[in-house]
Amino acid sequence: MKAEFHGEACPEYEAKLEDYLGGELSGADARELGEHLKSCGACAAALENAAASVRLLRFAEATPGPGPAFARVVMARIRSEQEALREPRGFWQPFVSLAWRFAATAALALALMITYDVKRRDAAPTVASVRQSEVRDLFTSEADRVPNSRDEVLIMVAEQDHGQH
Amino acid sequence: MNDVPKGVAAQAPALSVPLSRRSRGEEDRALVQQAQSGNEFAFEELVKRHQQRVFALVGGILRRREDLEDVAQQVFLKAFVSLKRFDQRAAFSTWLYKITVNECWDYLRKRKVRPLVYESDMSEEQVSRLDGLASQERPPEGPNDRAEARDLLERMLEKLPEQDRQLLLLKEVEGFSVQELAEILDLNVNTVKVRLFRARGRIMETYRKRLSSSGHAAKFPGAGKGRASDEG
Repeated sequence: MKAEFHGEACPEYEAKLEDYLGGELSGADARELGEHLKSCGACAAALENAAASVRLLRFAEATPGPGPAFARVVMARIRSEQEALREPRGFWQPFVSLAWRFAATAALALALMITYDVKRRDAAPTVASVRQSEVRDLFTSEADRVPNSRDEVLIMVAEQDHGQH
Repeated sequence: MNDVPKGVAAQAPALSVPLSRRSRGEEDRALVQQAQSGNEFAFEELVKRHQQRVFALVGGILRRREDLEDVAQQVFLKAFVSLKRFDQRAAFSTWLYKITVNECWDYLRKRKVRPLVYESDMSEEQVSRLDGLASQERPPEGPNDRAEARDLLERMLEKLPEQDRQLLLLKEVEGFSVQELAEILDLNVNTVKVRLFRARGRIMETYRKRLSSSGHAAKFPGAGKGRASDEG
């Protein structure tokens, strides 16, 4: 379908047209708009269009008002919220919250220490630590050695016997 | 004229300001001062005075009846909490309606819902029916016709950008003035007028498109006028 109408109003007259529609335009402004409407078909069509929208919108239903008890309900809600805020705290409440803070801090410190220890154990042995263990071996006497298994016990007994004979 | 209901005035001996001699704005101002100094009756009176408009504003923005009361209660709760910080440079009503608009937008954002969503589009028969109803000089009187027209119009409004729909509903249906809308929405008065006028054009364009796509000629006066530039 081809466009038949070009009802877009002149931008400088839109606000005045809205005023005119609401019956709020008078005096010189009304006369000036009247003159303009005689010569501008677009504004005249847009005005007719806008007037039609008023007729269309009369079908819409206004929002129903509140029930008679609404204000009382609001005040009751306000009072209950105020009472909840005013409710006195128990005697032990500050101590309990302090204890919880200590417990949380201690748990955090413990977790950090465990993490540090695990990481330290997992780290590869340094040259110094290897040498230290070797030095310790040099000065460890046979008698200081502790057998780790039954087989080692038997071997040590056999070695001792062999030495005595 | 005294706007304070007699029952409330009787319950509120601490309302010392002679309300009958003051304008509504001045009365609000006095009630706010008393509410700020801890008089709950004064705040209850403010709730009663503004509850209707708060409901209208919430309804105009959300178009959801089921959450209307919850949102309105939340508005007054927030107003009560912030009242001590309200310096009365603006009118109480403007301040309260701004809280209402913010609460509605928060609600929409939190729930991630659009104000009202119709799943299905209008059928040809429905478009024709709406045109028939709209062409009548008077609004339909039968409850069924009224309900049908309302439903069809809601579907039409659903096709509009959210801002257009809210402006049209708040102005034409809920009765807010251009001045009030400008204050509530933090816009220039002229901007509101221009947006309203363009929104009117857009709803009629939607209407016309529905009619032309269903092959009907508009019976409704004025419905045939306007842009049709994007119809090929």
